[in-house]
Amino acid sequence: MQTAKRDIAVSMTGISKRFGPVRALENANLEIARGSILGLVGQNGAGKSTIIKVLAGIIKPDSGSIVINGETVSALTPASVEKLGVHFIHQDRLLVPTATVGEAVFLGHEIGLGPFVSRRAMERRAADLLKRFFGMELPSGTLVKDLTTAQQKVVQITRALAQKASVLVLDEPTAALVKREVDSLFDVLRRLRDDGIAVVFISHYMQEIEKLCDRVTVMRNGTDVGTVDPRQTPIDEIIAMMIARDVGEMFPKRSVELGAPVLEVSNLRLGGSFENIGFNVRAGEIVGLTGLLGSGAKEIVQCLFGLKTADGGQVKVEGRELSLSTPVRAVRDGIAMLPEDRRAHGVALGLSVRENISLASLRRYSRSGMVSRGAENQAVDGLIKELSIKTPHRDALVRELSGGNQQKVAIAKWLSCQSRVYVLDEPTVAVDVGAKVEIYNLLNRLAGEGAAILLLSSDLLELVGVCDRVLVVYRGRLAGSFSGPAMNSDELLAASSGARSNADGVAA
Amino acid sequence: MNVSANDNNSAGVRGFLAKYSVLIAFAAIVVFFAVASPTFLTPANLFNMLVNNVVMLAIVALGLTIVISSGDIDLSVGVSVDMASMVFVMLLAAGYNGVVGVAGGLSAALIVGILNAILITRLNISPFLATLGVLFIGQSTQQLATSGGQPIYLTSGYAADQFNAIARTALFGVPTPVIALIVLAVAVHLLLHRSVFGRYVQAMGAQPGVAWYSGIRVPRELSMVHVLCALLAGVTGILLSATVKSYVPLSGNAFLLDAIGATFIGTTLSRERKPSVIGTLLGVLLLAIVKNGLLLVGWNFYWQQVGIGVLVFLVLAASFGLRRAAH
Repeated sequence: MQTAKRDIAVSMTGISKRFGPVRALENANLEIARGSILGLVGQNGAGKSTIIKVLAGIIKPDSGSIVINGETVSALTPASVEKLGVHFIHQDRLLVPTATVGEAVFLGHEIGLGPFVSRRAMERRAADLLKRFFGMELPSGTLVKDLTTAQQKVVQITRALAQKASVLVLDEPTAALVKREVDSLFDVLRRLRDDGIAVVFISHYMQEIEKLCDRVTVMRNGTDVGTVDPRQTPIDEIIAMMIARDVGEMFPKRSVELGAPVLEVSNLRLGGSFENIGFNVRAGEIVGLTGLLGSGAKEIVQCLFGLKTADGGQVKVEGRELSLSTPVRAVRDGIAMLPEDRRAHGVALGLSVRENISLASLRRYSRSGMVSRGAENQAVDGLIKELSIKTPHRDALVRELSGGNQQKVAIAKWLSCQSRVYVLDEPTVAVDVGAKVEIYNLLNRLAGEGAAILLLSSDLLELVGVCDRVLVVYRGRLAGSFSGPAMNSDELLAASSGARSNADGVAA
Repeated sequence: MNVSANDNNSAGVRGFLAKYSVLIAFAAIVVFFAVASPTFLTPANLFNMLVNNVVMLAIVALGLTIVISSGDIDLSVGVSVDMASMVFVMLLAAGYNGVVGVAGGLSAALIVGILNAILITRLNISPFLATLGVLFIGQSTQQLATSGGQPIYLTSGYAADQFNAIARTALFGVPTPVIALIVLAVAVHLLLHRSVFGRYVQAMGAQPGVAWYSGIRVPRELSMVHVLCALLAGVTGILLSATVKSYVPLSGNAFLLDAIGATFIGTTLSRERKPSVIGTLLGVLLLAIVKNGLLLVGWNFYWQQVGIGVLVFLVLAASFGLRRAAH
């Protein structure tokens, strides 16, 4: 690996870190070269985040050495790392929601005179930078909380650029972005690379790695197992390096006898979002739902769980008409929801695995209002085993679990409820390949047990691989229902963008 | 190898100190006052301290423990104390018997709790502002009802005598009010840490969005939280009146900050800084012992607050600082 003499910005060697009995990093190495984009891949729990947190000065390693710009550094802190020109765009949005865009971009490096901050100057400079790097124009004084996730990401990157970053580390930057935004982000990153900046790009999307990165370092079990050129190495090979065991197929095949319709939606309407939506999901069926941002697909899912109240229409579960006014009703009526924002709505990070899993079904494990620990433990242990949730024990905090395992906890919560209808909103965003396959397997199993599954996703390959049928929403209407050979990503993409409509009849 | 072993050891010690900083402070303070004042450990002093400084504050703090667990706050606990006290004393002064007095007092506190619940869950006012508003209104109401804040005294012959007698007796050497506190503390502990309702409270406190997405009736459970808190404060109001045989307007406010302080001192017991009944009780004891001890060693009344302030800083700083170092 050290044969080619390159211009090394950051070199981490022999980094080890243990958390109690858990070995997070074991003799891991990471080398980041200037003027190059390095991909960092690995399953959740492989040590990607930990090694990045070590570099960011958030976690103190047990051993190992870090050289930044030719200088051996010890006792890194988040502030000292930034001074060295190493900047991080973390996966969680770490922006102050009530700050203006200008304030967010210059947070910690305010422009002004002495103690006085010149807000106007910051807004102007921020607007300049945003326009220059991203061609993005926002009204002056826009608040961070009013931005979309994608825009917030852009503001974070702008913040690093404003401070003359020489190394830029992006953790899953594209997870919440739409295609166009991803493309412009990639353009920016390539331009930064050509300017000599070292870029580290962490992603679960192999296509992105292949498209963007000059080299990719693969991590597994807390150590780096190799660094390859993604353009000359087939994706399958990289995935094999990540997983070691045989992944099997990405999308496991299944054969389920479809039963009677479980979820029946007819003429559903929400002013300004969608109208005349009607479809059925049968027992054992996985139906996909997709559409571009603002197409109304998301709002349909929200109405089904009572998060938004539809203006009209009918929703039936097993023949019974529901009044979906609140999630309370939806849960009682047997609808389970896997929300997109896992940390805000899916699992409570500060509660234990046990408390999360039993939260929606406590009545089943209680007697006259008191929780029966025995019954609860038994059920929770069963689900932990069944879903192979990787947790030290049932009372570990969900915060300590990897993203994929957190998602499994969120699913276990509904399994414990014995819900009949599962509505999933982008369940595999920011989840690693191995965990994705496990989630797909889980969906198959749920379907096999007769549940009706509605999967909202913008990952077309996932929809094609997992679903029996995919519904496409375009501008608030069903633009098509695709199954069999017509269900391929080209058709779906065409229908989502309004280029084509219908294949085998909308009503299905 | 040696170095890292040492590191682990000292980290372990620091972790231990961080986890038990409240207990260690507690023990140190007890030892200190036992040495500094010969009266501190006498049964008479302990009895007096428990009955006058611990029980009433602890019951208010139990209510706040529920509220703070749910992620809310109640600044109007003092009003609940006062309202219960006022109605209780007024009813007894008007010649009603004790049962009517207690029922009336608790009803008054209940009304405060329901008002809070409506403001917070129906009108979506933030708990801080809603209960602050109720605090202001409650204070004025008392002044209006008592011609500007005149105390109401209970002379002998009222049912108050019986209450007063009860408050001064002991069962197997344990003062009756302490027994009442133990019963309530056990009940709140079971409610908060063993019941379905308690789970919902913890979930709302940990991540309200997750509670809502799990089908929990968040507004209803939150209403219950605020009503329970007000009722517990009402119990204190009645105990207070029975002990001092009077109603002194605005005397409930004294409990608010001590109760919040005790609850937060108690959160240092838990890794996730969650409030707990045991932690809150320890916090209350810690505050009461410092107050009582400083009085016994002859500190000026006004310096007591300084002592308590310094103590709170030390305990919290030790807990937070050591814990960070241990990580």
